[in-house]
Amino acid sequence: MENRRSFFKYFISNRLALAGLIGVAIIIILGLFAPAIIEQPKGYGPDILLPPSINYPFGTDNLGLNILAEVIWGARTSLYVSAIAVGVAIIIGVPAGLISGYKKGFIGSIIDSIIDIFLTLPVLPLMIVIAAVVGSSITNVAIVIGIFSWPSLARVTRNSTLKISEMQFIEAAKCLGIPQYSIIFKHILLNVMGPVLVNITLVMATAVLSESGLSFLGLGDPTTWSWGTILKKAWDAGAVIDTPNPWWWWFWPSVFIVFYVVSFNILGTGINEILNPKINKK
Amino acid sequence: MGSFLFRRMSKGLLTIIVSVTITFFILRLMPADPVSILIDPKMGPEVQAQMIKRFGLDKSLPEQYFMFLKGLIHGDLGLSFKNQQPVIDVLMQKLPWTLLLLFVVVILSLAIGIPIGVYAARKQGKFADKLINFLVTLGISVFVPFLAFGFLYIFAYFLKLFPTGGAYTPPPKQGIAYYIDVARHSVLPSLTLFCSNVASIVLYMRNSMIDVLGEDYIRTAYAKGLNEPLVIKHHALKNALIPTVTVTGLMMGTMVGGAVMTETIFAWPGVGRLIYDSVSAMDYPVLQGAFLILAVSVVFMNIITDLIIAWLDPRIKLGG
Repeated sequence: MENRRSFFKYFISNRLALAGLIGVAIIIILGLFAPAIIEQPKGYGPDILLPPSINYPFGTDNLGLNILAEVIWGARTSLYVSAIAVGVAIIIGVPAGLISGYKKGFIGSIIDSIIDIFLTLPVLPLMIVIAAVVGSSITNVAIVIGIFSWPSLARVTRNSTLKISEMQFIEAAKCLGIPQYSIIFKHILLNVMGPVLVNITLVMATAVLSESGLSFLGLGDPTTWSWGTILKKAWDAGAVIDTPNPWWWWFWPSVFIVFYVVSFNILGTGINEILNPKINKK
Repeated sequence: MGSFLFRRMSKGLLTIIVSVTITFFILRLMPADPVSILIDPKMGPEVQAQMIKRFGLDKSLPEQYFMFLKGLIHGDLGLSFKNQQPVIDVLMQKLPWTLLLLFVVVILSLAIGIPIGVYAARKQGKFADKLINFLVTLGISVFVPFLAFGFLYIFAYFLKLFPTGGAYTPPPKQGIAYYIDVARHSVLPSLTLFCSNVASIVLYMRNSMIDVLGEDYIRTAYAKGLNEPLVIKHHALKNALIPTVTVTGLMMGTMVGGAVMTETIFAWPGVGRLIYDSVSAMDYPVLQGAFLILAVSVVFMNIITDLIIAWLDPRIKLGG
């Protein structure tokens, strides 16, 4: 318990982690309560391509829809996609990393080679093809992203497992006759949680980049508001280079993507600093 | 050296085969039927049957796979569904454009990213370092189309300095004027890819430089009375470069992904845009060829990276 309290103490005193946490909290609140905050943008309206004003803080698009509402509903989609992607990545990556790190030997090196090969594959083009195959439901897209996100998680888990499994308490656990699966999934898993957690925040961040990329290329779900979809619509309508130029249409969704990714990235960096205080002192 | 290259190449070959096999089977799962896209309803049934046979679509899946592998060994990647040209010709038209873009970006990223990383490490904790760190965090987190839109808005729409897309103004000009035209068109796509890649190089260079500068042998070098530029140039730089080079090699996969979006936005006639177009046209043979090229280039870059690392760090024995 003492340990846990000091983690929170350090967490509050680490400004980076705190800033990341606040950013993440804002997105989670926007995402979870989107229906309560603002109505889902649907159909079309009379106010076409209005610049930001009091009524429409982020302006409107070419169908007269409120871009603020689109962006808030986009937060919901991004959160949903990254949560599913991370879930899939954890289900595949963590056991793969634990087993390959603990077992070493033949099984370990096979899993390690698979991780290696997956890490060098050109991920986005493959995702494009698979997304085209499985069809554009947002859940499918999220699962596809998860399937390509596990290798980095597995690599991190494996590296920490290799270190932990050499420690004496694991040896002690073996001597006590504790079953192997219990050693791997209890004793080791608890001790590799830190680095895994840091990597999970990074996977959350890249998942949104991938989803936005796929939606931007037209492989997302056209019926769901996502930041990538808004950007695609703006791009298709020539909002970037044509005159008149509704810059607000592509600017705000992009800012939210960056905000989301930066928040998760600095949260990860912050947690990492707290877990390895040596980085700071150097 | 020989055995290192052999091991490295066999691993690379494995990566290529896995990648090609995955794409082959995934592409065959596409819900739409390529035959219906390919065939004009006005054609007679004999012509249709003949075409299906020509593309090998009358065979079973395993047979098609082995035909594909057999063709691959002979350098034959099949015919494009869309315009019935050999895939290899289609790819060879596009490849130089992508290589041009990636080459410019990698060279610029290294030439600018490494000095900035070293500078940040020397000023560790000071204002300059904090500013660089902030920009790097933004750079890592940025969404490629956002960068592209921003540059298009500022430089193409507002200042009208650079063209909005394409690789040259048709019809292509002659001689020097053509090269200047292409260079003008490549500025914005290169800048976009550069900004999204240079950040990770700066980050890794800074972190590894800080690690190296804390080593005992650096203290010894200072104790000998050497000044800072000499210590960094002769003692620290080579060691700090190793992780940076590794990252640059690994970045190729991500860069290719960024290239798909960049090339699509800037209408750059490269492999990235070809992939995007072929997905919409469901042109399997071209997609397969494009993935083969991607896998080969990633593997090739990784081998080069390993060789550079071995040159930087003599402790890594290539033969071992």
